[in-house]
Amino acid sequence: MFALYKKDLQSFFLSPFAYVLAMLFMLVFSISFISLISELDSSTLIFSFPSIFYDNFFYFIFVIPILTMRSFAGEKHGGTEVLLLSSPLSTTKIVLAKLLAILTVYLFMVVLTLFFPIYIMCKGEVIWSSLLCAYMGFFLWGAVCITVGMLLSTLTANSIIAAVLGEIIMVGLLFLDLFANSTLVSVYPKLDTLIGWLSMQRRFLYFSQGLFRLEDLVFFLSAGAVIVCWNIIIIEKRRWSRN
Amino acid sequence: MTDAGSFAQKGDTIMVEIKRLTRYYGKHPAIRDLSFEIRDNEILGFLGPNGAGKSTTMNIIAGYLPSTSGTVTVNGFDITEQAAEAKQCIGYLPEIPPVYPDMRVEEYLRFVAGIKGVKRSEVRTQIEQAMERLNLTEMRKRLIRSLSKGYKQRVGFAQALLGDPKLLILDEPTVGLDPAQVSEVRALIRDLGKDHSIIFSSHILAEISAVCNRVVIINKGEILAEDTISHLEETMTANKQLHLTVEGEKDKIVRLLKDVRGVKSLSDIRDTAENRIECTATLESDSVRNEIMSVLLANDCTIVEMSMAKLTLEEVFLKITQQGKKRSGIEALLAETPEQPTES
Repeated sequence: MFALYKKDLQSFFLSPFAYVLAMLFMLVFSISFISLISELDSSTLIFSFPSIFYDNFFYFIFVIPILTMRSFAGEKHGGTEVLLLSSPLSTTKIVLAKLLAILTVYLFMVVLTLFFPIYIMCKGEVIWSSLLCAYMGFFLWGAVCITVGMLLSTLTANSIIAAVLGEIIMVGLLFLDLFANSTLVSVYPKLDTLIGWLSMQRRFLYFSQGLFRLEDLVFFLSAGAVIVCWNIIIIEKRRWSRN
Repeated sequence: MTDAGSFAQKGDTIMVEIKRLTRYYGKHPAIRDLSFEIRDNEILGFLGPNGAGKSTTMNIIAGYLPSTSGTVTVNGFDITEQAAEAKQCIGYLPEIPPVYPDMRVEEYLRFVAGIKGVKRSEVRTQIEQAMERLNLTEMRKRLIRSLSKGYKQRVGFAQALLGDPKLLILDEPTVGLDPAQVSEVRALIRDLGKDHSIIFSSHILAEISAVCNRVVIINKGEILAEDTISHLEETMTANKQLHLTVEGEKDKIVRLLKDVRGVKSLSDIRDTAENRIECTATLESDSVRNEIMSVLLANDCTIVEMSMAKLTLEEVFLKITQQGKKRSGIEALLAETPEQPTES
């Protein structure tokens, strides 16, 4: 399993792929950071990092399908899927190794953004406990989106189709979040509860406020686990009914 | 068919046991009810035209595809129930070598050794041995993308050897190679056959006969014949055909020929001109020719033309696959020549 993890990780880091995505991410993060500082209230000089995460996630969520598009579609397209599936590795281990590799790249991108709070720390004060909680929420939110992207990559042999499908689903997730915040939903309390329960943005809200709720952690972890299991089942099922 | 007992000349224990294997793609059956065995240290040829179901069968044996019904046991492990244990015993080279173009040869082999669970202490030795066997040592630092098709095939072959598998599944390993490379690969397979069980697919019978101990002929998803190569060759040499053009009375010639000892059958009897017939006689041995000549000449029949036609391996293969009916063995298939009524 480690060999596959290492191979996938190398394919990201030994090509410009991970660096270009990280660069894009940092660029958007920097723009948000600069605009936030420029709009700073001169009397308090206080600003909230999590609001940068909010702004960024709307861009970042579109980067995720690009990160995940090749995970299975690339193997199928290159004819190397047969090597993995005929190896002694179980499908679960294959999926987990690939997931861990993408999560590592994602973590690398998120860790790069620590540059900003560290920079602020040199000039002022940072509430690290609250910020790390926000980082944790951001990571978990992205991780669930990654599992969705991987699932879509399993469905096709074409990386581009996997990416396009991923973007559509990501728009759908954003739409769900916007819908959850709309007044239309708040009129119907039961619907509001249901959508609020499903909305990842609402869950992230608590993390961003430095509020660590076990409920939210369990939600993100179980959502990720369900999608990963679904991914494994799809690979197994596809093998059994392949045309 | 030759008795199952006579196949056991290479090893007595069974490495792979395939029982009633069936695989459907939608409603279309790719293979139906296949049953055969591969013994220890035996090279089994898996022969069939394109689309016969060879790759499907090999994918199922390798654990890549599941079967619709039937079982595959590798070294005593069921490929679906005990997949990890069974796959440890298998080295698989699919039709298209499963290589990553962006990796270097050695790096790729190290990765494959990793996913096959080769012990850390053995990885280096096994990679060196595999590269040496496939003449890849000089290419170890090359990107697979930049290798020729032949070398990519070698890299694919080398990965199949890692993990020291007891069973090698080779799906058309010589396709796309130049004649020198084909010869090298055949020699390698023969060498590996000394201490491995090998199933080797091809649509070229001559290749199978050059390398394998036994052959399974498959067409349209069904086994048509299963025999040892030596028996196949014996059968071919035993079935010598003599084309004859003789002047004389048709009934008389046919009767004379049928009475000659050593003539197994007469076929393709045709009147080509007035008082002249053409026919094909299947003979037991070459010496029967002299007997035929003397009998015909003694009975005032003029021999216009007489030529021997020996069935080539390719003809045997075509005959078997074109008939498309399951027979008890090669001999039965070859004996079944379309015989015309000898007396009208």
